[in-house]
Amino acid sequence: MNAQKQNKLSRRDFLKKAGAGAAAIAAAQMFVASPASAGKAPLEDAWGMMIDLTKCTGCNSCALACKEINNLPRTDIVPHKLDSNAYTFVEECETCEVTGEDGLPQQYYVKHQCMHCVHPACVSACTVGALRKTPEGPVVYDADKCIACRYCQYACPFGVPTFDWRSLLGLIGKCDLCAERLKEGQKPACVEACPTGALRFGKRKELLAQARAQIDFNPERYYDHIYGEHEVGGTSVLYLSAVPFTEIGFPEYGPEPIPRYAETVMTATPFTALTVAALATGAHFAFKGRQQPQLAIESDEIGAEESDDQ
Amino acid sequence: MISKTSVFLKESSVVLVKSGGVIIGILLSLTLIGLVTSIGRLAMGLGASTALTDAYPWGIWIGFDFALIAFSGAGFTMAAVVHILHMKKFQPALRPALLAGLLGYVAVLMLLLLDLGRPDRFYHFIIFWNLHSPLFEISWCVLLYTTILLIEISPDLFGRLNWAWPVNVASRLMTPVAIIGITLSTLHQSTLGTLYLNMPHRIHPLWYTPILPLLFFVSSIMAGLSMAIIAYKISIRAQGKEERCGVADGLAKGIAWVALLYVLLKLGDIVMAGELPALLALDMASLLMGLELVVGVILPMILFFIPAARKNNLAQWFASALILFGVFMNRFTATVFAQKAPPGAAYSPHILEWLSTIGLLAGVILAWYLAVRFLEIFKIRVSIKAGH
Ligand code: SF4
Ligand code: SF4
Ligand code: SF4
Repeated sequence: MNAQKQNKLSRRDFLKKAGAGAAAIAAAQMFVASPASAGKAPLEDAWGMMIDLTKCTGCNSCALACKEINNLPRTDIVPHKLDSNAYTFVEECETCEVTGEDGLPQQYYVKHQCMHCVHPACVSACTVGALRKTPEGPVVYDADKCIACRYCQYACPFGVPTFDWRSLLGLIGKCDLCAERLKEGQKPACVEACPTGALRFGKRKELLAQARAQIDFNPERYYDHIYGEHEVGGTSVLYLSAVPFTEIGFPEYGPEPIPRYAETVMTATPFTALTVAALATGAHFAFKGRQQPQLAIESDEIGAEESDDQ
Repeated sequence: MISKTSVFLKESSVVLVKSGGVIIGILLSLTLIGLVTSIGRLAMGLGASTALTDAYPWGIWIGFDFALIAFSGAGFTMAAVVHILHMKKFQPALRPALLAGLLGYVAVLMLLLLDLGRPDRFYHFIIFWNLHSPLFEISWCVLLYTTILLIEISPDLFGRLNWAWPVNVASRLMTPVAIIGITLSTLHQSTLGTLYLNMPHRIHPLWYTPILPLLFFVSSIMAGLSMAIIAYKISIRAQGKEERCGVADGLAKGIAWVALLYVLLKLGDIVMAGELPALLALDMASLLMGLELVVGVILPMILFFIPAARKNNLAQWFASALILFGVFMNRFTATVFAQKAPPGAAYSPHILEWLSTIGLLAGVILAWYLAVRFLEIFKIRVSIKAGH
């Protein structure tokens, strides 16, 4: 329902509605020709990851490798949700009906982690700019800046950032696409650990082309959609699936980046400020000579404040 | 000087017992509890002292905080009425409102500090900037506007100390300072709405609309003016004076029009977005929204449109309180009840969250009352004026 509404409200609707309000804020918003989030290139040449769910056997090698590379505790325990001790986990889909190549029913698994959005809401929302989308692809987190306000947890459309509730001074945790390893020319640890080829690392552009070819070549194996190609303006992590993505609980999102409205308004801040200040100043002079009908001058308070407007 | 102080202390303790001693006692106890629990929270860390989880990262602290920012709109709305619109008859309601606004923001800052997972880094927003972030802008505006409120209230403090020249300097600055304060308030009151624009996937569609910034701004005006009425009425009684006619009911009339604008914007938006069925669905969300709109906006609006009612003392208390209730519901629901969480996830606030919130609120109410009642800061400026 939310996602539907989200799609329905085009930018024009927004301006129309805001215009109906006819207030200084709304007017100021219109000064802004385009939201900062619109028209951003989908970072085709940046790194990305393709997750082919049809090839995942649920071995959890990736999840354990991720714990190890990120120095998270208990590398012997398979995680069942994202939390401060697990930046990725593999979920079994109980309701999915998938037949394997042998014609028998097959268990179906879904790996979850940060999607590395092309236009990330977490980055846009972060109070102190602790989250950043790098041109190389990863959305990285600077633990030294974070004030742990937890706004990013609300802004992320995939519920990815988690907070360390156990520590006295907790911080946020999330997958960073192994940004450090990428700098050294290595693949993400989970990709390297995957024994079946369900995880593939490469340029977003190339991953998309390969995935498209896979779907065309094997239409029975794949549901005809690459999740993340357009969702929320595109993500650097992409998914191929045998079943529709709604069946594995992936939210339906349109191509508009999540932060587009907020960024429009935020970008308008200087205009809003100037408009309000100008209106207030104008009103001050316009009403300065206002007749004060039953002004009770005998009052002590009024006498004291008379000097205010010199 | 010292003898003066001791006489003052002695006198005030006598008055303390005579007037509202019980209420002050209760507020004081709550404040102490609030202090102790706040320190406990900082010593224990977020996980141990709250019921917050990754499904509900924000709880009552943020809910109260955002409502309190709207209530503290008393300061900028009254500054606009008196200094910009030059409606001097509302002068007596200005200073109680400014003081309420200032103390409100003090509580806001303390609640925010409690909520931060890294309270030791509270100042980071001054160093590390993200111009796209609503919370970044709110942090800056709250910081700057609290300073503005301090300047706006400073003539009263200096007046109490009988310092003539700072009073005169501050008084001369009042108009530009008011304009800056109104600008900062417009920004952060509306940006609190912008904050929710970044979570369309989490918040119930009835609370999510691109015009949230506008709705938040308009509702902060009606909350601020209601707060101003209440602050005025209490301060008059605390000083043992009579209300002047035209003040509370004049503000009430203004509130009625703002409330009408708010209802039209809100309902218009819901209708245009095709969400009328959701509003009438009689589920949890629709009942919460109905309660907010009918009891918290429309009922007080009607009362304030009726001349006889808005001149009635009881109706003034009642309807102002209802408006505050409505805006509180709006902010609180948007933060907690209207947030979608994974199935099975629930949030029921930890006792420490409640005690620290109630204690902090009691603390600022107590500080406000003591300032009005015993420091008599609103009275003193006369003597300066007289000797000028
Ligand atoms: S999936 Fe969430 S955490 Fe990851 S980049 Fe996108 S918004 Fe940020
Ligand atoms: S919790 Fe940290 S990373 Fe998340 S928005 Fe707040 S400051 Fe940014
Ligand atoms: S890319 Fe790195 S951090 Fe992200 S899930 Fe894989 S191993 Fe973990």
